Amino acid sequence: MAQNTELTRRSLMALSALGIVASARNAVAADGQLTWGVHVSLAPTWFDPAETPGIITPFMLMYALHDAMVKPMPGNGAEPCLAEKFKAAADGLSYEFTVRAGAKFHNGDPVTAEDVKFSFERYRGTSAQMMKERVAKVEAPDDRTVRFVLKEPWPDFITFYSSATGAGWIVPKKYVEKVGEDGFKKAPIGAGPYRFVSFTPGVSLVLEAFDDYWRKKPTVKRLLLKVIPEEATRLAALKRGEVDIAYSIRGELAEELRATPGLTLKSVVLQAPFWIYFADQWDEKSPWHDQRVREATRYAIDYKAISDALTLGFSPITNSMIPNGFEFYWQPPPATYNPEKAKKLLAEAGHGKGFDAGDYYCDSSYANVAEAVINYLQEAGIRVKLRPLERAAFYSGYSQKKLKNLIQGASGAFGNAATRLAAFVVKDGAYCYGNYPDIDELYAKQESELDVAKRTEILHRIQQMVHEKSMYAPIWQLAFLNGVGKRVGESGFGLVKGNAYSAPYEDVTIKK
Amino acid sequence: MKQYITRRVGYSLLSLFLLSLTIFLFVRVTGDPTTLLLEPGASEEDIVNMRHQFGLDQPLWVQYGLFVKSFLTGDFGNSFYYRSPVVDLYFERLPNSLLLASVAMVLSLLIGIPSGVLAAVRVGGFWDSAGKVFTLLGLSLPSFFIGLVLILFFTVYLGWLPSSGAGTAAHLIMPAFTLGWYFAAAHMRLTRSSMLEVLGSEYVKLARLKGLPEAMVIGKHAFKNALIPVITLAGINLVVMINVAVVVETVFAWPGIGRLLYEGISFRDFPVVQAVVVIGGSMIIVVNLLVDILYALIDPRIRLES
Amino acid sequence: MAVTSPTVTPPTVASRASFKWLEGFPTIPVLILLTIAFVALFAELLAPYDPQVGTLSLRYRPPFWQTGGSMAHLLGTDHVGRDELSRLIFGARVSMIVGITAVMVAGTIGTVLGILSGYLGGWVDQVIMRIADAWLALPALTFAIFLAAIVGPSEFNIVIILGAVYWTRYARVIRGEVLSLKQREFVRLAVVAGCPKHVIMWRHILPNVINSAVVLGTLMLGVVIVTEAALSFLGVGVPPPKPAWGLMMSDGKQGLMVGHWWLTVLPGLCIMLMVLSANLLGDWLRVKLDPQLRQL
Repeated sequence: MAQNTELTRRSLMALSALGIVASARNAVAADGQLTWGVHVSLAPTWFDPAETPGIITPFMLMYALHDAMVKPMPGNGAEPCLAEKFKAAADGLSYEFTVRAGAKFHNGDPVTAEDVKFSFERYRGTSAQMMKERVAKVEAPDDRTVRFVLKEPWPDFITFYSSATGAGWIVPKKYVEKVGEDGFKKAPIGAGPYRFVSFTPGVSLVLEAFDDYWRKKPTVKRLLLKVIPEEATRLAALKRGEVDIAYSIRGELAEELRATPGLTLKSVVLQAPFWIYFADQWDEKSPWHDQRVREATRYAIDYKAISDALTLGFSPITNSMIPNGFEFYWQPPPATYNPEKAKKLLAEAGHGKGFDAGDYYCDSSYANVAEAVINYLQEAGIRVKLRPLERAAFYSGYSQKKLKNLIQGASGAFGNAATRLAAFVVKDGAYCYGNYPDIDELYAKQESELDVAKRTEILHRIQQMVHEKSMYAPIWQLAFLNGVGKRVGESGFGLVKGNAYSAPYEDVTIKK
Repeated sequence: MKQYITRRVGYSLLSLFLLSLTIFLFVRVTGDPTTLLLEPGASEEDIVNMRHQFGLDQPLWVQYGLFVKSFLTGDFGNSFYYRSPVVDLYFERLPNSLLLASVAMVLSLLIGIPSGVLAAVRVGGFWDSAGKVFTLLGLSLPSFFIGLVLILFFTVYLGWLPSSGAGTAAHLIMPAFTLGWYFAAAHMRLTRSSMLEVLGSEYVKLARLKGLPEAMVIGKHAFKNALIPVITLAGINLVVMINVAVVVETVFAWPGIGRLLYEGISFRDFPVVQAVVVIGGSMIIVVNLLVDILYALIDPRIRLES
Repeated sequence: MAVTSPTVTPPTVASRASFKWLEGFPTIPVLILLTIAFVALFAELLAPYDPQVGTLSLRYRPPFWQTGGSMAHLLGTDHVGRDELSRLIFGARVSMIVGITAVMVAGTIGTVLGILSGYLGGWVDQVIMRIADAWLALPALTFAIFLAAIVGPSEFNIVIILGAVYWTRYARVIRGEVLSLKQREFVRLAVVAGCPKHVIMWRHILPNVINSAVVLGTLMLGVVIVTEAALSFLGVGVPPPKPAWGLMMSDGKQGLMVGHWWLTVLPGLCIMLMVLSANLLGDWLRVKLDPQLRQL
């Protein structure tokens, strides 16, 4: 035996001398690997924090490859990470961060104030322009101090810097300048717990533990992310042990998953509400102009039963079209399922025998939700025709105001209650088919309101009006269901609030 | 002859132009990539930036000009979604597609040819019907169903084969079978009728008259000759397979061209869709052109005809 | 067989009366097709429930012979709690209508263009065939997804889409037929007799390619119905809650993994029987009507 080991060690040395050390090391740490079955195609833009678009998917990779000055962590929405600490000046006009001592990039370079400044200036993703307009300058007086000077007080600065954008995620200045933009996407280097090994677009991504990560040494040696678009296939792969964690398993597959010994179902509630939008409510000739008809619709649908059927009851019925985790969120009274009341309201509105309510548009990937909803509408006498559109066509049609009657929409965009209202409620919003002057007036007022308490009050009032006018029939806030295999100790699901994926990766473990 | 070829090449270029224009307009008419790469409700500023980044804020004819230019230089631009050169993406996937298609083709011939021969030799008999029904089954069930049943049986129940992905021979079995079975019917039909025709021909009759054993007649004389049209069809179907594989590639997460195209369409990744369609189209058009020219060389009447 | 007048019909149709013609008639397939047609026609009378409305709390009931099943829903219920039997019955209608009309659309476009292309030749032929080339280069499903995105999903649009996708197959085959017909004596005589082109195409060419078109149609029916299912799988098929077999299979596909087999296997069986029967009938017709059509 001893001889054998010796031999192996010797051949290992020979291999490393030949420069094949990487594959040899992989063989040694083979059991230290976890594999994910991912539902979307991974894109290299997600390797680069500067490109962060307004969707949550890139954070699946950013929590592994990169680290931020301040980012949402377990139990804290804005925890200092690459920053040891930060503080706001008393006048609210500047924020000073101290870079963590000993934090390193994957190539061994220390993280410096210069990198922080560079990353902010390089950032061009979502809300980039807005942030740069509000920040007068970024100063780096020494290697470990960064000061953001604002043009005027901006209470949301930390929210945007830490979680709503990718501006606070740090990339190595020297390396980026050396390899260029394309080079960086091909071989990204960050300060996160895992470093990049290889990537095949649309197929798989391999990451390896970065032992010098400041927070802790990651416990799992290798992460493999495999793209498997078909849900049933992902579950099959999980069952056979080909993957350890499978993202997005819904409906009956989720039930099966829950019933399978050794597999665990993990749900994460996304900041993505679904709703029905009454696009014709401003058209006096439409039945939807009548508020009673819209209210009837809200009473006619058993949201809880739909959540039970499609997401095993994990999608909360918030009765709002604003995500409940957002700043300035107002909680409406709970939704009630009351088919009698719905029928009564319809009768009062002159539709006692039901009526033809036109079309019901939806993104075809959520046709299952729509099908359940229109089943209830049908029962109440609201006869609609389902028009599932393929995703691109749906969102183009929605924003170009080409759809009509009923629209089943959803959004997982970052921001706060005010930004959501701007897009979906207020005059000229990208997805608004009409508007109410009283709401617009209030909205304009809050825009110039500096007092947070007063602003909150106005925004609450607007949300209440949206609710009372039945502008929308909110369906639910989508729960993202995932499967976890038996080899996994800590899957990382739900540790970081608002993050749909496994995070932080350094906390993920393999069962002993 | 020279004139014929020139004209024929001209027509091919016309086809290519039509194709490129169609696909160019199609992708643009049917949706806006920015609404997909950004969440609905994203700020106006982000949308404008992204449109500018992708060059979508330029007039259509400028965009088309750039597309043609990129095609001629063999560049094809960068994918909106992957942000990497489309050419790289394409040629990374192409070997997978070719591998899947060729193995599927071999399987389909392995199913189609023997059952076709059997059917022809036993016209109206049990083997004729059995072969027909078996090959037609592959044609009559949607491939996602066949694929999922295979996964259920071989991955979940038996645990023998990996559910998805590429890499080893084991990964290839299920997708190749699913795809190959679909095409088996066509090959079976052609083998059968082509065999029947050859069996009825003079020289087979002659071989029989000479008293050669039946197996020899069928195996050596008839089969060889009956195979020619089948191989021709198989060649054409190989190209078709690369294009039809979308569903199979999705079910088995096979990283081929079909899925690249399908995802390209889903995300309105204009450069990807344009490149895949135009490259694939060029191949088909070139093959057609070569076939036409070959025919014209063989049979001068065709030349005079047109 | 002496051709005395240019309007004489060609000899292939002459022996129709002969009883021998029915040899090898695919009895079972034809019976199956007739049954499906009957069910489609009388769906309202046969179906026990409304196929489009269900009760969510009654979802995933198995067929009656399995534990948990009941006589109330003989073949169980689907993911919205709709009666599977009723959906299968109405599905016969939707699939039949979609399949047959799509084949007819493709057949009409393809036959007309094929005849024009084959008979007129010259630039007409070139333009039609070049369009067909470009068409072929667009993978059928890709094309269907685009069309679905442009015109939106509905039964009618699916028919148009399928028709628009598959016309080229007809056009090519018919064109080939026409090219050979053109060399036949009865056509040549018609030309000599001074018949105008449109009359020749209509009265001499068309009746002689109809056979091929019919055969091709029966074979295409299967392709069209299976493609409809694939479109549903990709999210651009017949819009729910309409029952179409392909859509039902695609909706139920997840159920395969979890024991809800009836949601895919039953519509799958229906599709299979229909496609198989249509193909067997088509094969028989092909041999009877036109032994030359072997490359289909």
